[in-house]
Amino acid sequence: MTSFAWAMMLIVTVHALVFHAMPRFSRPDILFAVTVPDAFVRGAGRALVSRYRLIVWSGAAAALAIGLLLPASWFSADRVGFVMMSVMAGNMLVAASAWLWAHRRARAHAVPHADTRVASLVPRDTSLPGGALFAGGPFVILVATTMVVWMHWDQFPPRPRPLGPFGPLAMGAVYVMMMLTLAMSLARRTRQISTDGLAAAAEQRFLRVNVFVLVLAGYGTAIMLSTAALEAIPSFAGMSSKIWLAMLPIMLFNFGVAVWMLRVGQGGQRTIAPAGREIRGDATPDRAWKAGGLFYFNPKDPAIWVEKRVGFGYTLNMGNVGAWVLISMMLVPVFAARLFF
Amino acid sequence: MAGALRVAINLNSPIPAYRQIASDLRRHLVEERLKPGDRLPPIRQLALDLGVHFNTVALAYRLLADEGWLELKRRRGAAVMARNAPRAVDHRHIDHLLQQLGHIAAELRSAGMTARQISSALRRIAQGARP
Repeated sequence: MTSFAWAMMLIVTVHALVFHAMPRFSRPDILFAVTVPDAFVRGAGRALVSRYRLIVWSGAAAALAIGLLLPASWFSADRVGFVMMSVMAGNMLVAASAWLWAHRRARAHAVPHADTRVASLVPRDTSLPGGALFAGGPFVILVATTMVVWMHWDQFPPRPRPLGPFGPLAMGAVYVMMMLTLAMSLARRTRQISTDGLAAAAEQRFLRVNVFVLVLAGYGTAIMLSTAALEAIPSFAGMSSKIWLAMLPIMLFNFGVAVWMLRVGQGGQRTIAPAGREIRGDATPDRAWKAGGLFYFNPKDPAIWVEKRVGFGYTLNMGNVGAWVLISMMLVPVFAARLFF
Repeated sequence: MAGALRVAINLNSPIPAYRQIASDLRRHLVEERLKPGDRLPPIRQLALDLGVHFNTVALAYRLLADEGWLELKRRRGAAVMARNAPRAVDHRHIDHLLQQLGHIAAELRSAGMTARQISSALRRIAQGARP
Protein backbone atom coordinates (compact mmCIF):
# COMPACT_ATOMS: atom_id res chain seq x y z
CA MET A 1 0.00 0.00 0.00
CA THR A 2 1.26 3.49 -0.85
CA SER A 3 1.76 6.29 1.66
CA PHE A 4 -1.19 8.11 0.01
CA ALA A 5 -3.46 5.13 0.77
CA TRP A 6 -2.30 5.17 4.40
CA ALA A 7 -2.93 8.93 4.62
CA MET A 8 -6.42 8.48 3.16
CA MET A 9 -7.22 5.70 5.62
CA LEU A 10 -6.05 7.87 8.51
CA ILE A 11 -8.24 10.80 7.41
CA VAL A 12 -11.28 8.54 6.91
CA THR A 13 -10.79 7.05 10.40
CA VAL A 14 -10.47 10.51 12.00
CA HIS A 15 -13.65 11.66 10.17
CA ALA A 16 -15.53 8.61 11.43
CA LEU A 17 -14.29 9.18 15.00
CA VAL A 18 -15.45 12.83 14.90
CA PHE A 19 -18.90 11.87 13.54
CA HIS A 20 -19.08 9.06 16.11
CA ALA A 21 -18.56 11.56 18.95
CA MET A 22 -20.72 14.34 17.49
CA PRO A 23 -23.97 13.45 19.33
CA ARG A 24 -22.07 14.26 22.55
CA PHE A 25 -20.92 17.67 21.27
CA SER A 26 -24.08 19.47 22.44
CA ARG A 27 -25.98 20.16 25.67
CA PRO A 28 -27.13 16.93 27.38
CA ASP A 29 -30.80 17.62 26.53
CA ILE A 30 -30.08 18.33 22.86
CA LEU A 31 -29.70 15.32 20.60
CA PHE A 32 -28.89 15.61 16.88
CA ALA A 33 -29.47 19.38 17.20
CA VAL A 34 -33.03 18.86 18.54
CA THR A 35 -34.24 19.74 22.08
CA VAL A 36 -35.55 16.46 23.49
CA PRO A 37 -36.82 15.23 26.89
CA ASP A 38 -34.49 13.37 29.27
CA ALA A 39 -36.59 10.22 28.90
CA PHE A 40 -35.85 10.18 25.15
CA VAL A 41 -32.10 10.74 25.71
CA ARG A 42 -32.00 7.80 28.12
CA GLY A 43 -34.33 5.54 26.11
CA ALA A 44 -35.11 5.61 22.40
CA GLY A 45 -32.43 8.25 21.83
CA ARG A 46 -29.71 5.74 22.69
CA ALA A 47 -30.95 3.32 20.04
CA LEU A 48 -31.03 6.18 17.53
CA VAL A 49 -27.42 7.10 18.36
CA SER A 50 -26.36 3.44 17.93
CA ARG A 51 -28.01 3.22 14.51
CA TYR A 52 -26.47 6.54 13.45
CA ARG A 53 -23.01 5.32 14.49
CA LEU A 54 -23.54 2.05 12.63
CA ILE A 55 -24.18 3.98 9.40
CA VAL A 56 -21.14 6.25 10.01
CA TRP A 57 -18.80 3.30 10.59
CA SER A 58 -20.27 1.35 7.65
CA GLY A 59 -19.46 4.29 5.38
CA ALA A 60 -15.96 4.52 6.85
CA ALA A 61 -15.44 0.75 6.44
CA ALA A 62 -16.49 1.00 2.79
CA ALA A 63 -14.04 3.89 2.24
CA LEU A 64 -11.26 1.94 3.97
CA ALA A 65 -12.03 -1.15 1.87
CA ILE A 66 -11.74 0.92 -1.30
CA GLY A 67 -8.38 2.23 -0.05
CA LEU A 68 -7.17 -1.32 0.61
CA LEU A 69 -8.52 -2.92 -2.55
CA LEU A 70 -7.56 -0.27 -5.08
CA PRO A 71 -4.41 -1.26 -7.01
CA ALA A 72 -1.29 0.80 -6.34
CA SER A 73 -1.43 2.18 -9.90
CA TRP A 74 -4.56 4.16 -8.90
CA PHE A 75 -2.43 6.16 -6.49
CA SER A 76 -0.10 7.36 -9.26
CA ALA A 77 0.87 11.03 -9.12
CA ASP A 78 -1.61 12.14 -11.82
CA ARG A 79 -4.73 10.69 -10.23
CA VAL A 80 -3.96 10.34 -6.50
CA GLY A 81 -5.61 13.66 -5.66
CA PHE A 82 -8.81 12.78 -7.47
CA VAL A 83 -9.01 9.27 -5.92
CA MET A 84 -8.40 10.52 -2.39
CA MET A 85 -10.86 13.39 -2.69
CA SER A 86 -13.55 11.11 -4.16
CA VAL A 87 -13.24 8.50 -1.42
CA MET A 88 -13.18 11.09 1.37
CA ALA A 89 -16.09 13.06 -0.12
CA GLY A 90 -18.10 9.82 -0.38
CA ASN A 91 -17.34 9.01 3.24
CA MET A 92 -18.34 12.52 4.35
CA LEU A 93 -21.56 12.31 2.35
CA VAL A 94 -22.55 9.05 4.07
CA ALA A 95 -21.76 10.47 7.53
CA ALA A 96 -23.60 13.76 6.86
CA SER A 97 -26.63 11.83 5.50
CA ALA A 98 -26.64 9.69 8.65
CA TRP A 99 -26.69 12.86 10.76
CA LEU A 100 -29.60 14.35 8.77
CA TRP A 101 -31.51 11.08 9.02
CA ALA A 102 -31.04 10.97 12.81
CA HIS A 103 -31.92 14.68 13.06
CA ARG A 104 -35.26 14.07 11.29
CA ARG A 105 -35.99 11.11 13.59
CA ALA A 106 -35.20 13.15 16.71
CA ARG A 107 -37.50 16.00 15.58
CA ALA A 108 -40.49 13.74 16.10
CA HIS A 109 -39.64 13.78 19.83
CA ALA A 110 -38.81 17.51 20.10
CA VAL A 111 -39.89 19.43 23.20
CA PRO A 112 -42.12 22.39 22.22
CA HIS A 113 -40.33 25.72 22.51
CA ALA A 114 -41.26 27.43 25.80
CA ASP A 115 -43.38 30.58 25.61
CA THR A 116 -41.87 31.81 28.86
CA ARG A 117 -38.45 33.45 28.84
CA VAL A 118 -36.48 33.99 32.01
CA ALA A 119 -33.43 36.19 32.62
CA SER A 120 -31.21 36.89 35.59
CA LEU A 121 -31.21 40.37 37.12
CA VAL A 122 -27.64 40.01 38.32
CA PRO A 123 -25.26 41.93 36.03
CA ARG A 124 -22.48 39.69 34.69
CA ASP A 125 -18.88 40.32 33.75
CA THR A 126 -18.65 41.16 30.06
CA SER A 127 -15.09 42.50 30.10
CA LEU A 128 -12.18 40.79 28.34
CA PRO A 129 -10.29 38.27 30.53
CA GLY A 130 -7.18 39.93 31.92
CA GLY A 131 -8.52 43.40 31.16
CA ALA A 132 -7.54 45.90 28.48
CA LEU A 133 -3.81 45.67 29.32
CA PHE A 134 -3.68 41.93 28.63
CA ALA A 135 -5.83 42.30 25.50
CA GLY A 136 -3.43 44.97 24.22
CA GLY A 137 -0.42 42.63 24.61
CA PRO A 138 -0.37 41.49 20.95
CA PHE A 139 -0.17 45.13 19.83
CA VAL A 140 2.77 45.69 22.20
CA ILE A 141 4.54 42.70 20.56
CA LEU A 142 3.87 44.11 17.08
CA VAL A 143 4.98 47.64 18.01
CA ALA A 144 8.18 46.31 19.68
CA THR A 145 8.97 44.28 16.53
CA THR A 146 8.34 47.33 14.36
CA MET A 147 10.89 49.26 16.42
CA VAL A 148 13.46 46.44 16.11
CA VAL A 149 12.90 46.31 12.32
CA TRP A 150 13.28 50.08 12.14
CA MET A 151 16.56 49.97 14.09
CA HIS A 152 17.99 47.35 11.68
CA TRP A 153 16.67 49.03 8.55
CA ASP A 154 20.19 49.37 7.09
CA GLN A 155 20.58 45.55 7.00
CA PHE A 156 17.63 45.07 4.64
CA PRO A 157 18.06 44.37 0.95
CA PRO A 158 15.96 46.41 -1.52
CA ARG A 159 12.30 45.80 -0.74
CA PRO A 160 10.87 42.81 -2.63
CA ARG A 161 7.32 43.43 -1.29
CA PRO A 162 5.16 46.56 -1.18
CA LEU A 163 5.73 47.20 2.54
CA GLY A 164 8.85 45.13 3.02
CA PRO A 165 9.14 43.60 6.51
CA PHE A 166 6.37 45.91 7.74
CA GLY A 167 3.84 43.93 5.64
CA PRO A 168 3.55 41.01 8.10
CA LEU A 169 3.36 43.46 11.02
CA ALA A 170 0.54 45.47 9.42
CA MET A 171 -1.21 42.19 8.65
CA GLY A 172 -0.73 41.15 12.29
CA ALA A 173 -2.33 44.37 13.53
CA VAL A 174 -5.38 43.81 11.29
CA TYR A 175 -5.69 40.19 12.41
CA VAL A 176 -5.30 40.98 16.13
CA MET A 177 -7.90 43.75 15.83
CA MET A 178 -10.28 41.22 14.27
CA MET A 179 -9.68 38.63 17.03
CA LEU A 180 -10.28 41.24 19.76
CA THR A 181 -13.50 42.43 18.10
CA LEU A 182 -14.71 38.82 17.95
CA ALA A 183 -13.74 38.32 21.61
CA MET A 184 -15.58 41.48 22.71
CA SER A 185 -18.72 40.68 20.75
CA LEU A 186 -18.71 37.12 22.12
CA ALA A 187 -18.39 38.43 25.70
CA ARG A 188 -21.15 41.01 25.29
CA ARG A 189 -23.59 39.73 22.70
CA THR A 190 -24.17 36.13 23.85
CA ARG A 191 -27.30 35.10 25.73
CA GLN A 192 -26.95 33.73 29.26
CA ILE A 193 -29.21 30.68 29.17
CA SER A 194 -29.21 29.54 32.82
CA THR A 195 -30.32 32.22 35.27
CA ASP A 196 -28.60 31.14 38.48
CA GLY A 197 -27.00 28.31 40.43
CA LEU A 198 -24.33 25.89 39.29
CA ALA A 199 -25.64 25.74 35.72
CA ALA A 200 -25.25 29.52 35.28
CA ALA A 201 -21.77 29.49 36.84
CA ALA A 202 -20.66 26.62 34.56
CA GLU A 203 -22.07 28.40 31.53
CA GLN A 204 -20.33 31.68 32.40
CA ARG A 205 -17.02 29.85 32.93
CA PHE A 206 -17.39 28.14 29.55
CA LEU A 207 -18.02 31.46 27.80
CA ARG A 208 -15.07 33.19 29.51
CA VAL A 209 -12.72 30.37 28.43
CA ASN A 210 -13.93 30.75 24.81
CA VAL A 211 -13.32 34.51 24.97
CA PHE A 212 -9.86 33.90 26.46
CA VAL A 213 -8.99 31.51 23.60
CA LEU A 214 -9.80 34.28 21.10
CA VAL A 215 -7.56 36.76 22.98
CA LEU A 216 -4.77 34.15 23.03
CA ALA A 217 -5.20 33.62 19.27
CA GLY A 218 -4.27 37.30 18.94
CA TYR A 219 -1.04 36.62 20.85
CA GLY A 220 -0.27 33.59 18.65
CA THR A 221 -0.79 35.64 15.48
CA ALA A 222 1.33 38.54 16.76
CA ILE A 223 4.20 36.18 17.66
CA MET A 224 4.08 34.34 14.32
CA LEU A 225 3.96 37.46 12.14
CA SER A 226 6.59 39.23 14.25
CA THR A 227 8.87 36.25 13.69
CA ALA A 228 8.20 36.43 9.94
CA ALA A 229 9.18 40.13 9.96
CA LEU A 230 12.33 39.57 12.04
CA GLU A 231 13.47 36.67 9.84
CA ALA A 232 14.32 39.20 7.13
CA ILE A 233 17.01 40.76 9.35
CA PRO A 234 20.28 38.85 8.83
CA SER A 235 21.20 38.94 12.53
CA PHE A 236 17.83 37.35 13.41
CA ALA A 237 18.03 34.63 10.71
CA GLY A 238 16.99 31.17 11.90
CA MET A 239 14.56 32.59 14.43
CA SER A 240 11.57 30.77 12.93
CA SER A 241 13.12 27.44 13.97
CA LYS A 242 12.73 28.56 17.61
CA ILE A 243 9.19 29.95 17.27
CA TRP A 244 7.78 26.81 18.88
CA LEU A 245 9.29 27.97 22.19
CA ALA A 246 6.88 30.90 22.23
CA MET A 247 3.97 29.02 20.66
CA LEU A 248 4.20 25.88 22.80
CA PRO A 249 2.43 27.31 25.90
CA ILE A 250 -0.42 28.64 23.72
CA MET A 251 -0.76 25.33 21.86
CA LEU A 252 -0.69 23.36 25.13
CA PHE A 253 -3.34 25.67 26.60
CA ASN A 254 -5.58 25.22 23.53
CA PHE A 255 -5.14 21.44 23.71
CA GLY A 256 -6.03 21.58 27.42
CA VAL A 257 -9.15 23.65 26.59
CA ALA A 258 -10.22 21.09 23.96
CA VAL A 259 -9.89 18.22 26.47
CA TRP A 260 -11.73 20.27 29.14
CA MET A 261 -14.58 21.03 26.71
CA LEU A 262 -14.94 17.33 25.90
CA ARG A 263 -15.22 16.64 29.62
CA VAL A 264 -17.63 19.42 30.67
CA GLY A 265 -19.67 19.39 27.45
CA GLN A 266 -21.29 22.27 25.58
CA GLY A 267 -21.93 25.26 27.87
CA GLY A 268 -20.29 23.31 30.72
CA GLN A 269 -23.62 21.57 31.28
CA ARG A 270 -22.54 17.92 31.20
CA THR A 271 -21.27 18.22 34.77
CA ILE A 272 -24.62 19.54 36.06
CA ALA A 273 -27.33 17.10 37.16
CA PRO A 274 -30.63 17.37 35.20
CA ALA A 275 -32.35 18.81 38.31
CA GLY A 276 -29.86 21.70 38.36
CA ARG A 277 -30.66 22.68 34.76
CA GLU A 278 -33.83 24.74 34.97
CA ILE A 279 -34.07 25.59 31.30
CA ARG A 280 -34.31 22.81 28.73
CA GLY A 281 -31.89 23.01 25.84
CA ASP A 282 -30.24 26.29 24.86
CA ALA A 283 -33.37 28.54 24.78
CA THR A 284 -33.26 28.84 20.97
CA PRO A 285 -36.19 27.48 18.91
CA ASP A 286 -35.42 24.25 17.02
CA ARG A 287 -37.03 25.61 13.85
CA ALA A 288 -34.41 28.39 13.64
CA TRP A 289 -31.62 25.81 13.21
CA LYS A 290 -30.97 24.99 9.56
CA ALA A 291 -29.03 22.24 7.73
CA GLY A 292 -29.40 19.66 10.49
CA GLY A 293 -28.47 22.14 13.22
CA LEU A 294 -25.38 23.59 11.52
CA PHE A 295 -26.61 27.17 11.06
CA TYR A 296 -28.75 29.41 13.26
CA PHE A 297 -31.00 31.91 11.48
CA ASN A 298 -33.39 33.90 13.67
CA PRO A 299 -33.98 37.56 12.74
CA LYS A 300 -36.16 37.97 15.89
CA ASP A 301 -33.28 37.04 18.19
CA PRO A 302 -31.10 40.01 19.29
CA ALA A 303 -28.21 37.65 20.17
CA ILE A 304 -25.31 37.76 17.69
CA TRP A 305 -23.67 34.63 19.15
CA VAL A 306 -25.46 31.47 20.29
CA GLU A 307 -24.15 28.13 21.52
CA LYS A 308 -23.44 25.70 18.68
CA ARG A 309 -25.66 22.66 18.37
CA VAL A 310 -23.07 20.76 16.33
CA GLY A 311 -19.66 21.08 17.99
CA PHE A 312 -18.34 23.06 20.95
CA GLY A 313 -18.32 26.80 21.40
CA TYR A 314 -20.44 29.45 19.70
CA THR A 315 -21.80 30.24 16.26
CA LEU A 316 -23.22 33.37 14.66
CA ASN A 317 -26.93 34.12 14.32
CA MET A 318 -27.13 34.48 10.54
CA GLY A 319 -30.43 36.34 10.88
CA ASN A 320 -28.75 39.20 12.76
CA VAL A 321 -27.19 42.12 10.87
CA GLY A 322 -24.42 42.31 13.48
CA ALA A 323 -23.34 38.76 12.57
CA TRP A 324 -22.92 39.79 8.91
CA VAL A 325 -20.83 42.78 10.00
CA LEU A 326 -18.54 40.32 11.84
CA ILE A 327 -18.43 37.97 8.84
CA SER A 328 -17.48 40.90 6.57
CA MET A 329 -14.80 41.85 9.08
CA MET A 330 -13.37 38.33 8.97
CA LEU A 331 -12.79 38.80 5.24
CA VAL A 332 -10.68 41.94 5.84
CA PRO A 333 -7.43 39.99 6.54
CA VAL A 334 -7.91 38.10 3.23
CA PHE A 335 -7.90 41.38 1.29
CA ALA A 336 -5.27 42.89 3.58
CA ALA A 337 -2.92 40.00 2.72
CA ARG A 338 -3.04 41.01 -0.95
CA LEU A 339 -2.23 44.59 0.03
CA PHE A 340 0.54 43.93 2.54
CA PHE A 341 2.40 40.98 0.95
CA MET B 1 -27.68 41.60 45.95
CA ALA B 2 -29.34 38.26 46.65
CA GLY B 3 -29.08 35.44 44.12
CA ALA B 4 -31.97 33.99 42.10
CA LEU B 5 -33.21 37.40 41.08
CA ARG B 6 -35.05 36.89 37.84
CA VAL B 7 -37.47 38.46 35.46
CA ALA B 8 -39.79 36.38 33.30
CA ILE B 9 -42.01 37.16 30.34
CA ASN B 10 -44.68 35.09 28.65
CA LEU B 11 -44.83 35.68 24.91
CA ASN B 12 -48.45 34.49 24.73
CA SER B 13 -49.67 36.88 27.42
CA PRO B 14 -51.95 39.73 26.32
CA ILE B 15 -49.91 41.98 28.64
CA PRO B 16 -47.13 43.78 26.71
CA ALA B 17 -43.62 42.44 27.38
CA TYR B 18 -42.36 45.75 28.79
CA ARG B 19 -45.19 45.76 31.38
CA GLN B 20 -44.37 42.16 32.37
CA ILE B 21 -40.71 43.13 32.87
CA ALA B 22 -41.67 46.24 34.84
CA SER B 23 -44.12 44.23 37.01
CA ASP B 24 -41.48 41.64 37.92
CA LEU B 25 -38.92 44.32 38.69
CA ARG B 26 -41.45 46.32 40.74
CA ARG B 27 -42.25 43.23 42.79
CA HIS B 28 -38.54 42.72 43.59
CA LEU B 29 -38.28 46.42 44.51
CA VAL B 30 -41.37 46.44 46.74
CA GLU B 31 -40.26 43.24 48.48
CA GLU B 32 -36.82 44.85 48.97
CA ARG B 33 -35.02 42.01 47.25
CA LEU B 34 -33.51 44.78 45.16
CA LYS B 35 -32.05 47.36 47.53
CA PRO B 36 -30.92 50.96 47.00
CA GLY B 37 -27.54 51.00 45.27
CA ASP B 38 -28.00 47.61 43.58
CA ARG B 39 -27.21 47.68 39.88
CA LEU B 40 -29.45 46.12 37.27
CA PRO B 41 -28.15 44.51 34.08
CA PRO B 42 -27.57 46.94 31.20
CA ILE B 43 -30.56 47.28 28.87
CA ARG B 44 -28.83 45.42 26.03
CA GLN B 45 -27.83 42.51 28.27
CA LEU B 46 -31.33 41.99 29.68
CA ALA B 47 -32.90 42.35 26.21
CA LEU B 48 -30.45 39.77 24.85
CA ASP B 49 -31.20 37.29 27.64
CA LEU B 50 -34.97 37.70 27.21
CA GLY B 51 -34.75 37.66 23.41
CA VAL B 52 -36.67 40.93 23.05
CA HIS B 53 -35.89 44.26 21.40
CA PHE B 54 -33.71 46.68 23.38
CA ASN B 55 -36.52 49.26 23.34
CA THR B 56 -38.79 46.84 25.23
CA VAL B 57 -36.42 46.71 28.21
CA ALA B 58 -35.63 50.43 27.88
CA LEU B 59 -39.36 51.17 28.15
CA ALA B 60 -39.68 49.02 31.30
CA TYR B 61 -36.66 50.72 32.92
CA ARG B 62 -38.03 54.16 31.95
CA LEU B 63 -41.41 53.30 33.51
CA LEU B 64 -39.75 52.41 36.82
CA ALA B 65 -37.47 55.45 36.62
CA ASP B 66 -40.60 57.61 36.26
CA GLU B 67 -42.03 55.93 39.37
CA GLY B 68 -38.85 56.88 41.23
CA TRP B 69 -37.45 53.37 41.65
CA LEU B 70 -34.52 53.48 39.24
CA GLU B 71 -31.84 55.89 38.26
CA LEU B 72 -30.81 55.50 34.62
CA LYS B 73 -27.22 56.32 33.77
CA ARG B 74 -26.00 56.62 30.21
CA ARG B 75 -23.75 53.62 29.30
CA ARG B 76 -23.71 52.50 32.96
CA GLY B 77 -27.10 50.81 33.13
CA ALA B 78 -29.64 51.30 35.87
CA ALA B 79 -29.26 51.48 39.65
CA VAL B 80 -31.91 51.15 42.36
CA MET B 81 -32.65 54.49 44.05
CA ALA B 82 -33.26 55.13 47.72
CA ARG B 83 -36.87 56.28 48.13
CA ASN B 84 -36.38 58.27 51.34
CA ALA B 85 -39.13 60.81 50.85
CA PRO B 86 -42.61 59.32 50.34
CA ARG B 87 -43.87 60.13 46.86
CA ALA B 88 -46.76 62.48 46.45
CA VAL B 89 -50.00 60.53 46.18
CA ASP B 90 -51.26 60.45 42.59
CA HIS B 91 -55.01 60.06 43.20
CA ARG B 92 -55.86 59.70 39.52
CA HIS B 93 -53.39 56.85 39.07
CA ILE B 94 -54.58 55.11 42.25
CA ASP B 95 -58.23 55.43 41.15
CA HIS B 96 -57.30 53.91 37.80
CA LEU B 97 -55.52 50.94 39.49
CA LEU B 98 -58.43 50.40 41.92
CA GLN B 99 -60.81 50.39 38.96
CA GLN B 100 -58.69 47.68 37.34
CA LEU B 101 -58.69 45.75 40.64
CA GLY B 102 -62.49 46.01 40.66
CA HIS B 103 -62.63 44.42 37.19
CA ILE B 104 -60.28 41.64 38.29
CA ALA B 105 -62.33 41.01 41.46
CA ALA B 106 -65.48 40.71 39.34
CA GLU B 107 -63.72 38.22 37.05
CA LEU B 108 -62.59 36.20 40.08
CA ARG B 109 -66.18 36.13 41.44
CA SER B 110 -67.35 35.06 38.03
CA ALA B 111 -64.70 32.29 37.99
CA GLY B 112 -66.14 30.89 41.24
CA MET B 113 -64.15 32.54 44.05
CA THR B 114 -66.01 33.90 47.07
CA ALA B 115 -65.56 37.47 48.33
CA ARG B 116 -63.82 36.10 51.44
CA GLN B 117 -61.36 34.07 49.32
CA ILE B 118 -60.61 37.10 47.12
CA SER B 119 -60.06 39.30 50.13
CA SER B 120 -57.73 36.76 51.76
CA ALA B 121 -55.77 36.29 48.49
CA LEU B 122 -55.41 40.07 48.14
CA ARG B 123 -54.14 40.36 51.71
CA ARG B 124 -51.50 37.68 51.04
CA ILE B 125 -50.41 39.40 47.81
CA ALA B 126 -50.23 42.77 49.55
CA GLN B 127 -47.97 41.20 52.18
CA GLY B 128 -45.55 40.03 49.50
CA ALA B 129 -46.69 36.45 48.77
CA ARG B 130 -46.78 35.18 45.18
CA PRO B 131 -50.32 34.70 43.83
